[in-house]
Amino acid sequence: MGGGAYMPLAMAQRGKVETIKKINDKDEVKRFLESLGFVVGSEVMVVSELSGNMIVNIKDSRVAISKAMATRIFV
Amino acid sequence: MEKKEGKWKGDKDVIIMDLPGIYSLSPYTLEEVVARNYLIEERPDAILNIVDGSNLERNLYLTTQLTELGIPVVVAINMMDVVAKNGDMIQTERLAKELGCPVYSISALKGTGIQEAAQAVVAAAAKHATVPQHSFAPSVEEALSDILAKLPNNIPQELKRFYAIKCFERDEKIPIALRTAPGIEEIIANTEKELDDDSESIITNERYTYIGQIIQHCYQKKNKGGLTTSDKIDQIVTNRWLALPIFAIVMYIVYYISVTTIGTYVTDWTNDGLFGDGFYLFGNGRAAYEEANEAYTLETQKIDAFLAEATAEGIDISTAESDPIAFAAEAAQVTASVTITAEDESTQILPVTIQDYEIALQAEEPAVEDFGTWIPGIPVIVGNVLEKLQVADWLQGLILDGIIGGVGAVLGFVPQMLVLFIFLAFLEGCGYMARIAFIMDRIFRKFGLSGKSFIPMLIGTGCGVPGVMASRTIENDRDRKMTIMTTTFIPCGAKLPIIALIAGALFSGASWVAPSAYFVGIAAIIISGIILKKTKMFAGDPAPFVMELPAYHLPTIGSILRSMWERGSSFIKKAGTIILLSTIVIWFLSNFGFTENGFGMVDDLSNGLLANIGSAVAWIFAPLGWGEWQSAVAAVTGLVAKENVVGTFGVLFGFAEVAEDGMEYWATLSAFFTPAAAYSFLVFNLLCAPCSAAIGAIKREMNSAKWTWFAIGYQTLFAYLVSFCVYQIGSVISGDVGFGFGTILAILIICGGIYMMIRPEQKQKVLQAKVTA
Repeated sequence: MGGGAYMPLAMAQRGKVETIKKINDKDEVKRFLESLGFVVGSEVMVVSELSGNMIVNIKDSRVAISKAMATRIFV
Repeated sequence: MEKKEGKWKGDKDVIIMDLPGIYSLSPYTLEEVVARNYLIEERPDAILNIVDGSNLERNLYLTTQLTELGIPVVVAINMMDVVAKNGDMIQTERLAKELGCPVYSISALKGTGIQEAAQAVVAAAAKHATVPQHSFAPSVEEALSDILAKLPNNIPQELKRFYAIKCFERDEKIPIALRTAPGIEEIIANTEKELDDDSESIITNERYTYIGQIIQHCYQKKNKGGLTTSDKIDQIVTNRWLALPIFAIVMYIVYYISVTTIGTYVTDWTNDGLFGDGFYLFGNGRAAYEEANEAYTLETQKIDAFLAEATAEGIDISTAESDPIAFAAEAAQVTASVTITAEDESTQILPVTIQDYEIALQAEEPAVEDFGTWIPGIPVIVGNVLEKLQVADWLQGLILDGIIGGVGAVLGFVPQMLVLFIFLAFLEGCGYMARIAFIMDRIFRKFGLSGKSFIPMLIGTGCGVPGVMASRTIENDRDRKMTIMTTTFIPCGAKLPIIALIAGALFSGASWVAPSAYFVGIAAIIISGIILKKTKMFAGDPAPFVMELPAYHLPTIGSILRSMWERGSSFIKKAGTIILLSTIVIWFLSNFGFTENGFGMVDDLSNGLLANIGSAVAWIFAPLGWGEWQSAVAAVTGLVAKENVVGTFGVLFGFAEVAEDGMEYWATLSAFFTPAAAYSFLVFNLLCAPCSAAIGAIKREMNSAKWTWFAIGYQTLFAYLVSFCVYQIGSVISGDVGFGFGTILAILIICGGIYMMIRPEQKQKVLQAKVTA
């Protein structure tokens, strides 16, 4: 998969629904993100952002993620 | 992390095991490990899978994994009221068909549907296992059936698919013989190549694809997209400008109410009433009694003043009692005076003549019982009973001073803690607590802790025991261990009397002392966080912060009280075991010793074993400025409960009973300590090993003796070094001691500490070395 056209979730606009294209993370963390619903093809929306950390809406639930993770999820 | 066992009310033969809430069966969090091990190893007869209807899609992910375990599964959809309120619809019958297991809708909040679901589980247990209805993409299914064929025959039929999938995912927790069976790796690698993804993500994606299909059939959503109420609240509460101010206001309210108003009121009642002399029922009569008592105190002051004046004028007062008439004649001309201070600070001088003196002699001490329904405190009642039973003096001492005194002092904090716990339970229940972790994460991350570390520390300002226990919510092992180690640095409620003592006795109640204690605590956490994170033990990438935020909702009173009681009772249990035991030991050591009559009970604590031990170890604390045995003993008794430090000094200075802040012996103490030594003593007691109850909590949460000793050792060493620097440098500044060897050593320690904070992380160092080599 090429990553050129994707942007990290960290840069996504607040309130705009995006689709996850790719997740770059270590296995263990990726697995946990997946069980929370962060899989390729899922719709995701940024609800709030606080100095890089984000609250996002995914599969009808709210999940808080750190900036480090938000930069590894591409939409 | 625990599972809870219970019996079903409907049928006592049915044992219910409540497993922690999890997202999946892949062992990422501690909860998942516990739940997964139980399901695989204990193999229950049936599983009741309670799912949140308001985010069905995500919740069904776990359901698809559970149906593969070869155990009958019943799904109960909770929060159906929320679903209905949103105008959405879940077709449970259709869902049951798609999943291949019974589906019930319940509402835990209203208590509906639960009996039906429970009965269905019992019925399901008797039937055959749930057969997973889902199939993955053809290429994945092909790989799975290839793996299935290679699995050994001793695996039960219903578990074959589960193990095949786990093999495909390269799960490290399944038996090694299965994973490394010949040919399996090849099958996985081929499929991965074909689908251009790792095997685990393939399965995850397949599961979500399948769930997506089910949802389409069974779940009618009214509003797709758009912001929910919770989202709207989050946009304000976690807003980049408003988040911290809102947080500060909430914390201020919680703290103000639980510590200064209601908290203080109930704590005073337990300490002075229930575990003190006694109290008036509903407070009736207290004001009248206090007034009468004040009047009586004034009369006794008059007597003292008159006698003192008479002595000053050369009159022999030894006859005052034996021959009052002669004394009156002799002292007829004496006029003394007493100064009374009114509430508005204005003073009034009353002359005391022989007539006033004689009237004063007639005054009787008011009896508490005369002013209202007086209920004596526990020590009074027990004391009377023991007196009646003619129990030996030493046993009376053990029960009254040792056990009731010690345990009572600790239990005195329970009401205040319960008030704090009610607030915390509310913040947790309504969903704000999770947001606090989110808001604080950026700040805590800077010194190696997680946002979730804030909650233990906040609770720790009330009491370290529930504070340490609250660290359980932190998934990452390193973050959790570090939080446990540093939480008790924050001054807890029991350390406040020590602060009040030192501030009052040595610094004439200066207002900076108390805030400085909190500052020392916070600084200790930050410095320790940074230093520990750079040691090999804690090195490594910080755990990424991921946390589900629950929807905002009003918690029920029942759930708040339950949560309060859960935390409170674990503390009370500690008070009944560890604290009880250590109070008895300390009481024994203080009151028994070697005298000229051999070993036995001593009247004077300075002859007791504890005093001997204190004298033997006192030299250790000499470099900290308080090498006298009394201070050493006081610090040791602080290990039972921190506020004991104040009482111990009182006893050692010859005061039987002292106020909470030890006001009676402030003068003695200020001659005993230099200011620098006193502050060093304060810092040591704030930072060193916590009380026995908190140590017990640390042991339970660390679940390892080695880590418990490491934590306590680290805290005590840290406290020692900081106190050393405080005393050595403080003494030079105040001019008590000249610049010398101690000062140099203190400066070296500070430099060492700074080096530990700024040096590169241990792990990175290795990497850099590799690069340069």
